Amino acid sequence: MKKITSLLALVFLLFTAAMQAQGTIRGTVVDGENNTPLPGVNVVVNGTTNGVTTDFDGLFEIQVAKNTGALRVSYVGFAPLTVNFDVTGKKVVDLGTINLKMDSDALDEVIVKAYSLAIDRKTPVAVSTIKAETIENELGSQEFPEILKTTPGVYVTRGGGGFGDAELRIRGFNSQNVAVMINGIPVNDMENGNVYWSNWAGLADVTSSMQVQRGLGAAMIGLPSIGGTVNIVTKSTDIAAGGNVMMTTGNDGYTKYGFTISTGLLDNGWAATASLSRTTGEQFVDGTTIDAYSYFLNVAKKINENHELSFTAFGAPQRHGQRQNRLLIDDYRVSDRGIRTNTDYGYKNGQILNHEDNFYHKPQMSLNHYWTINEISSLTTSAYASFGTGGGGGTAGLNKFGKYDTDYRDEPFAPVNFDQIVAENKALGAAASAETFLRASINNHQWYGALSTYNTELSEYIDLSAGVDIRFYKGDHSTELTDLLGASFYIDNNDVNNPNKVVKEGDTYNYNDSGYTNWGGLFAQAEYNKDKISAVLSVAGNNTSYKREDYFKYTPEDPLRETDWINFTAFSTKGGLNYRLDSKNNVFANIGYFERAPFSDAVFINNTNITNENAENQKIFSAELGYGFRSDKFRADLNVYRTKWMDRTYTISRTADNIQYTANILGVDALHQGIELELSYRPVETLTLTGMASLGDWQWDNDVKNVQVFDDQQNAIGDPIDIFIDGVKVGNSAQTTFAIGADYEVLETTTLRASFNYAADYFADYNPTGRTTPNLPQTWEMPDYGLLDLGLTHRFNFGGFNAQINANVFNVLDTEYISDAQDGSGSVASTALVYFGAGRTYTVGAKINF
Amino acid sequence: MKKFNYLLTAITIGAMSIVGCDPVEDINDQLEANEAGIFDVFDYTLTEDDYKETLELDYANFNTVDDAKTLIPTVLNTNFPVLGDASLANVSYDLYAPVSTESSLIVYTVSTADYDANPDTAQYNNFDDEEQIYTFLDCKFPNVANRTLVSLTYVFYNGSSQTLNNGFLRVNGEWQFVLGLTSAEYTAVGQGFANFNTEDEALRKLPIFLLDKFKYEEIAVNTVKSTMYKLYTTDVDDIDGDGSKTDRATYSYIVNFIYDGSSWSEYNNTLRMTLQFGNDSGVWVPDNTVAYSFTQGDIALVSSTLLTKYPGPADNVGFFKSFDRRSGSSNYWSDDMMIEAIGIVLDSINPNAEEDQKYAVTVVIYNGSTTNETFFLIKTDGAWVAQ
Repeated sequence: MKKITSLLALVFLLFTAAMQAQGTIRGTVVDGENNTPLPGVNVVVNGTTNGVTTDFDGLFEIQVAKNTGALRVSYVGFAPLTVNFDVTGKKVVDLGTINLKMDSDALDEVIVKAYSLAIDRKTPVAVSTIKAETIENELGSQEFPEILKTTPGVYVTRGGGGFGDAELRIRGFNSQNVAVMINGIPVNDMENGNVYWSNWAGLADVTSSMQVQRGLGAAMIGLPSIGGTVNIVTKSTDIAAGGNVMMTTGNDGYTKYGFTISTGLLDNGWAATASLSRTTGEQFVDGTTIDAYSYFLNVAKKINENHELSFTAFGAPQRHGQRQNRLLIDDYRVSDRGIRTNTDYGYKNGQILNHEDNFYHKPQMSLNHYWTINEISSLTTSAYASFGTGGGGGTAGLNKFGKYDTDYRDEPFAPVNFDQIVAENKALGAAASAETFLRASINNHQWYGALSTYNTELSEYIDLSAGVDIRFYKGDHSTELTDLLGASFYIDNNDVNNPNKVVKEGDTYNYNDSGYTNWGGLFAQAEYNKDKISAVLSVAGNNTSYKREDYFKYTPEDPLRETDWINFTAFSTKGGLNYRLDSKNNVFANIGYFERAPFSDAVFINNTNITNENAENQKIFSAELGYGFRSDKFRADLNVYRTKWMDRTYTISRTADNIQYTANILGVDALHQGIELELSYRPVETLTLTGMASLGDWQWDNDVKNVQVFDDQQNAIGDPIDIFIDGVKVGNSAQTTFAIGADYEVLETTTLRASFNYAADYFADYNPTGRTTPNLPQTWEMPDYGLLDLGLTHRFNFGGFNAQINANVFNVLDTEYISDAQDGSGSVASTALVYFGAGRTYTVGAKINF
Repeated sequence: MKKFNYLLTAITIGAMSIVGCDPVEDINDQLEANEAGIFDVFDYTLTEDDYKETLELDYANFNTVDDAKTLIPTVLNTNFPVLGDASLANVSYDLYAPVSTESSLIVYTVSTADYDANPDTAQYNNFDDEEQIYTFLDCKFPNVANRTLVSLTYVFYNGSSQTLNNGFLRVNGEWQFVLGLTSAEYTAVGQGFANFNTEDEALRKLPIFLLDKFKYEEIAVNTVKSTMYKLYTTDVDDIDGDGSKTDRATYSYIVNFIYDGSSWSEYNNTLRMTLQFGNDSGVWVPDNTVAYSFTQGDIALVSSTLLTKYPGPADNVGFFKSFDRRSGSSNYWSDDMMIEAIGIVLDSINPNAEEDQKYAVTVVIYNGSTTNETFFLIKTDGAWVAQ
């Protein structure tokens, strides 16, 4: 608290200092390519710490203490510009419009390289960039990745609809195959590749830009960029002093309060930004309660001209109610609660109880060191750590949670009557083990990593980068008994070291193990830039090692208790070329091949310490062509891609004489190809029209025949398996999407937005290796749907502060649509298990900047 | 500027018209059309009104089972007009099944002369074979009127000689055996003489007597037993042939009792029967479907029986106690596999099921969530197949 108070004091000091000024300078900063205003641009008086940022219209106003001098105007992704001023004899000087150019050569290479950002018309990858302003105005109560829904190739679903349960899929690949980086640090789970957006709930408030690189991406390090890479860059030190407070309300009691405060760069070289928010209420789906905080802190110190240190910490402790069980379409139809129906919560003692919930806190800390070695060389190093604690709640014991089970629900789909379950546990008597109780699957982790990149100019036209990428990860997995529901204990027999264990609330039972994942990577990249050509070639190699330790299945003396390290080595190489035909047209091409180690669950089959050392690397080949057009009013990007994913990791296991044997299924290949188009047209200053179309053709590529499981004597176990997937559509992501949008400034203070998103060719999810009989039908195709969102931003002066109101209505037409489906028997609508997307929702928020 | 307002409106309206508002509407309409309608599974007992008002019968019972099968659907339609497909009614009704009683009585004790008249019985002066009794009756009472009861006292040798008093009722030219009580049995039920004092006493004590007499025998529900009891009463018919109708004599009476599984009660010539009717698309038809839910033992049986044939699925169901019904799963139980698995269990619980016997078997399945699924099977050509 004391720190925040001093921070506030500091801010006000700065304000008063700025008031004793010689004069005022005004101006508007725009993107030189298309004249769109650039918000958030840093404007600093050279040689001082006096700085401001531009507002949503690109406007800035700064008080200067001297009559003459220069302003340094800078923004990530643009060349910084120095503008001289002279206020002698004048109170106010208007510098007019200041054009920032996306001049690739003049970029702050250190940041761009360290964060693996793609540069327009230079980096040969397909990319869409979302600016902070868009996030601030349009995100509302949507899930963070949903801000990307109007970019091609991207499909975002809220999953069950719980807070932070969204999944981002790119080009038909699920989140395990989409790399997510925050400030250049990879954050996909080391063991299973997943991305849990609830861990980053507050990041939207402090994001300065979000870049989606589809396909191979611009990162040098080994990443699972099969579908693409999402690159989130948070705000950092280059912000002037100031801050904001915000509050948002929405449907179903959604409430969010927050503030951000920045010191700006102080005379002593320090700078700090802090942000805190709290979100409560519920999501659209019944019982999806939210109780979440998020915090962000960046402290930076510019040691001297050559060294800069920056420490960033952020996290989002939260607990939210989930919907984990998909229902039949008919269930939603007959349920009183319609598409909001959630069978995964109930009431106990009159209080809501989510038996499927998620609670997690994953603070991530990084210390970045930027070292400008000399004119041509620099070294960027990030040391980072994250500590995850939490898990997911669920039920255990006798299942009394069936969706139609009216013994424990007032009617089918109604909330669970936990009092009844408590009464039944109690009726068994004080000496009885709990019949039905609640547990949580705990997944704690410690993750330490370091990423260091050395950049140097080999010649006038050739840059070389090389570095190391080291990660140490330990995941602790266990089951915790969380609620005995009226009983006083539960007897567990899963711990060989503790038979007939009496388990009470808070105790560990069922399973208890640790997984270790070590990663060591080396990478190098050469870049060539001359005249109209930019070319890049990267190579990377990494070694992934897995080890597993099981505290319950084996005695301490058992040699199986801890496995050896199982190593997988994978290489990747990619290259690309961008050719600028003229100042408006550019074309690019890229091609790459990379391998990826199998996930740990393919190595330690069925969570035992019997290792599958022969698990195969997955292989990905990708090639892409792109075309870009830039003019003052119009920009267009068109690209075609072809990604072949080979030997996707699958295993089958068979049991003989109580010993389990496993076979790797090789040759499960998928081919994802498609065309993506992104357009932006600004016919007049006040109107921006955008459009996107993505046509995908994503299919499984071939049948796999005669997969046989053998025992250690090479005796066949069971019959060989055939998998029939040739030509079967890839599910889980709409293959055709398009979006149109308009952003119209009705008044100088008021902007209206409309956007329409359409999804088609969307097939239900299924396990391809389950298709073991020939001539099965194509999996069920969900109905096409279109969603209309409307938004309004109104800016006004609130007691001397800049303030704005953002209102957003999502799914204005209250369209009932299916956002996720799991294929059912016969691949028809009546058997599919689905989630419906949210109906009409809204948020209204106000933000006051100071 | 105005034209951009129009453009914006046009985009909005265009977007709305492309998709409409409800992409799932067609699916929902179809689901609604296929909706099961109102259905119930219930027990029902026909009331007197059902027989006499609805069916316009003279008596509150049916003469034959076939009548019941034909007429009960009318009752169900009248009483439950809203119930539709998939409804199951377990209907109790009364079937008229008269058992004859006596209209005249002959009291007779077999004499030595009678035994001597038959070479088979002459030597020991007793019967030792039931056939001998019927031979004697045919000979002694060749032309008695229909429904004549002969209350016969005789000596029967079955390891030892015993004096019995049983009834033989002449019905349509045949003798029907009617169980009587021996003197010892009268003593055992608390009588000082070998008779009852009143009819009420007989009706109160005979059910207890029957329970005791047949306590080691397996008696099927709805078994009817004819019994004969003796009453010392005014000889209004001059049954002893002494010319007086005011003296007292021992009369014999037939009373029939029916067993309900636990006790005997006086039989009123109707049997309480049950028939199951199923509603098939709005029409009630007799249905022998037995509802059955899998037990843990059944799952273990399926798992072990099919382990070689379907190693993955069989192992999985044994472990999780639910059938994986996700077609994408490697442990998927297809419809055919489910019928096969349920057939194994039905053969185990009802190996002698008759042809056309139907079962509605409910099992726990996993289709993303754990729930129940019901399969309908019928025995056809000795095998269980899907209905």
